[in-house]
Amino acid sequence: MPEKNLDFGKFGAQGIRGSDAVARKLDELAGGIATPVTVKRGWIARLHYLTKSGKSRQAAKEAGLTVTDRTLKAWLEGKRSPSKANLAKIDAAYRAVRRQNVARHLLKRLNREGRGTRVEIHPLNQSQVPRPLQRVVEYRSMNVRRWDRIVGAWAAGDHQGLDAAWDDTIVDLGSQWGQYEYCTSVGFAA
Amino acid sequence: MSDFDAIDSLLAGVGPEAELPSPQVRQELRERARLSKAQVARALGVSPSTVAAWEGGRDPVGEVRTKYRYLLDGLATKFTTDTAPVTPSPAEPAAAQAPNAADAPPASPAVPEEGGEGDEVEALAVPEPCVLCGQPAGTRVAGFAQHLDPADCQTTAAVPPAQPATTPVQPGTAHTGKPTSTARTSRTPRPSERSQGPARRAFQEPSGPVDLIGQAVQAALAEHHGDVEAATAALVKRAIPDAMRLLDETRKGARYDVIAHPWIPDILKKQTSRGADQIWEARPKWTRRELPPGKHEVTALDINGAYLSALKTHLPLGQLEHSAGLPHDRRRAGVHLITPPVWEHEAVLPNPIGQRDEPGPLWVTEPTLRLLLRLSGPKYGLCAPPEVHESYTSGATENLLEKFRIALKDARDEAIEQGDEVTLEYVKAMYSKFVSTMGESNYNRELYRPDWMHIIRSQAFANLWLKALKAHDEGLAVVRAMGTDELHVIGDWHRVFPEGRGVTEVKVKDTYTAGTDTDDTTGEERE
Repeated sequence: MPEKNLDFGKFGAQGIRGSDAVARKLDELAGGIATPVTVKRGWIARLHYLTKSGKSRQAAKEAGLTVTDRTLKAWLEGKRSPSKANLAKIDAAYRAVRRQNVARHLLKRLNREGRGTRVEIHPLNQSQVPRPLQRVVEYRSMNVRRWDRIVGAWAAGDHQGLDAAWDDTIVDLGSQWGQYEYCTSVGFAA
Repeated sequence: MSDFDAIDSLLAGVGPEAELPSPQVRQELRERARLSKAQVARALGVSPSTVAAWEGGRDPVGEVRTKYRYLLDGLATKFTTDTAPVTPSPAEPAAAQAPNAADAPPASPAVPEEGGEGDEVEALAVPEPCVLCGQPAGTRVAGFAQHLDPADCQTTAAVPPAQPATTPVQPGTAHTGKPTSTARTSRTPRPSERSQGPARRAFQEPSGPVDLIGQAVQAALAEHHGDVEAATAALVKRAIPDAMRLLDETRKGARYDVIAHPWIPDILKKQTSRGADQIWEARPKWTRRELPPGKHEVTALDINGAYLSALKTHLPLGQLEHSAGLPHDRRRAGVHLITPPVWEHEAVLPNPIGQRDEPGPLWVTEPTLRLLLRLSGPKYGLCAPPEVHESYTSGATENLLEKFRIALKDARDEAIEQGDEVTLEYVKAMYSKFVSTMGESNYNRELYRPDWMHIIRSQAFANLWLKALKAHDEGLAVVRAMGTDELHVIGDWHRVFPEGRGVTEVKVKDTYTAGTDTDDTTGEERE
C-alpha cells in the first residue's frame, strides 16, 4: 500500500499509530480498577478479580499468571506480598482477562446492531514541522460499522492484527487515508 | 471537448459584460430588500466598501459582475410581483444591444419557444439578449433570457437579417436545455452556469429542523392514551438521546462539525471518579453583608431558563491547544489560568469570580474571563484587568448551539402560551440534562465535552451577574445572587425586569421582609 508511512516523524510530526489510539480508547471504555497495581489496594483488587472462580483462575493462568495456588493463597491472606516482577505479571494478566471479559459486551455496543459507531480522528501534530513542509490535514470523522476484527484483535492483545484491522478500516476515508495512519487521538463512545 | 470548453469560457469572458442597472437603482433594490451592504458583500465575496463603491457609481468587472447582476436580477424579480418593475434608463438597453447585434447569430426564426412550459419564468431588471434571436428580452426562463411570446422572437429576429447562412445552427438547440452550442455561436453574455440554480438565490426559505419536539410529545401522549403524567415521565426519561438527535438535526448543513471526543487536557479531567476537575465555574453565592438601614421588602426573583439562554456562548470547536503569555483572542475560547483582580465592591455587588476562599491563580472559563475583561474596560471600570497566565483554547463560535437553542426556546414559548405542561417539562429536561451530561457522564456517551459543560454553566452565572449589575445600576439594592437563577432585590424591580415566563423575563419566587427597624442596622433576617 503506497499510502503507508515509511519513516514517520522524520520532519518532526508527532503522533501515535491510529491502532494504538484505538486500543487506548477501548481500554478506557473497558474501564476497570483505577488504583495502580503498586498499591496494596490495587493489586489485591486485581487478584480478587483473577481468582473469583475456577474459570477466572484458568484465564489468569493462560494470561501468564503462572504462580502456584499456594502463593496465591498466601498473597490473598496477606501473609506475603508479590514481588515487583509478579506485580507486573498480575497487572498484565488482569488487563488481558478484563479485555476478554469485556470484549463481547463492548463489541455489541460498538456494532449497535449494524448501525455502527461514529469515530473521530484527530490529525497528527505538525507544530514541530518546518513551515514549508506542513500540510493541511483535517479532522475527519467516519462511521465504523464492523468492529469484530478490531475488538477481537484488541481482546487477544494482538498488536499487529489490530493494526491491520484498523488500516483496513481507515481505507474508507478515501485516498488520503495514509495521512491518518498516525494521529493524536481517536475518539468514539460505546 | 475540454479544449472547446476552455475556449468557450475564454470567449464568454471577453464578450460584452453583463449590463447592470444604474447605481441609484442598485442601492434602491438592496435597501428595499432590507439587506445590509455587509450581507451583500459576504454573499458576493467582496468587502462592504466595494459594494458601497458600486452603489456610488463604480462598476464591478469580471465574474463578480455577473454575480452582482444575478443578485440585482433576483431582487428585481422579487419586487416586480407587488410593485411596478424597476425600469432601467432607456439608454442602457440600447447600449447593450449595439455590441450584441453585431455578432448576433441568425437564429432560426422558425424555432418555437418551448422552454417556458413548466419552467419558472423570471423577469429581468435589465433586458438580456434572447438566446434565440439575440434581441433584448425582458424575461428569463430556466436560466436563459428569451422572449415568452414566439411572435416577439420572430419579428425581432426578422428585423436584422444580417448573415442568414454563415453559421449553421441546429433547430434543436433551444430544446436541449444545454446552452453550450448556443453559447459558442452567439457569445451571449450569460452568468456563469454555477450561479443559476436555486441554491444560489439571494432569498431562500430558512431550513429549520423538523418539529422533533412536537412529534415526540404527540407520540408519547398517543402511546400513553393521553395520560399526562406517564407521558411526561417517559419523555423526561428519553430527554438526553432526544436532545442529541435534535442537536444532530440542527447541525445539518452547518459550517462546523460538532466534535464530540477531542483530546482533553488534564485540567479538565476528574482527579478521581467522584472528584472534580480544576475548573472554577464562578458560581455566585453571595449575600449582602449589611442591608441599608430600615425594614425592606425583598423580592426573590427567578431567572427563567438560565441554562437555555446560556447555550448562546463562545464554544471552542475543536481540540484545545495550549498557549502561554498571549493576550486574549476574541476569536478563540477555552479555559484560562488567571490571577483574578481585587474586587472592591463586595458590599454592594458579588465578586464576578464567585466566592473564592483561596487566593492565587485559578482556571476559569471563557465567559468568566470575558466578564472580567469587560468589567475592567473603560465602560465599567469596576476592577483591574485579570492577568492571564496560560490558556487552552480553540477557535470558537457563538452559533454552534444557536439553532438548537432557538428550537428549544420556540417549543418552550409555544408550550407556555398553550399551557402545555408536557412539552414544558420535556424541553426543560432536554436542555438541563444536555448541559449536565455533556461532560464525562455515562448517561450521555455521544458527547464528551467537559469544556463546553463548564463554559455553558459559567455563562449562566455570568448572565446572572450581569443582571445583578443591571439591578444595581438601576438603583435597586441587590441582596443576594445565588446559583444560576436566584436574585434577591430591594426596590421596585418592575421597571428593571419584565415579569413573565419567557427567557427574557423574570418571575417572582418569594417576597419577604428583611432588615430591622432603624435602631439596629446590623441584624437581618433570612429565609
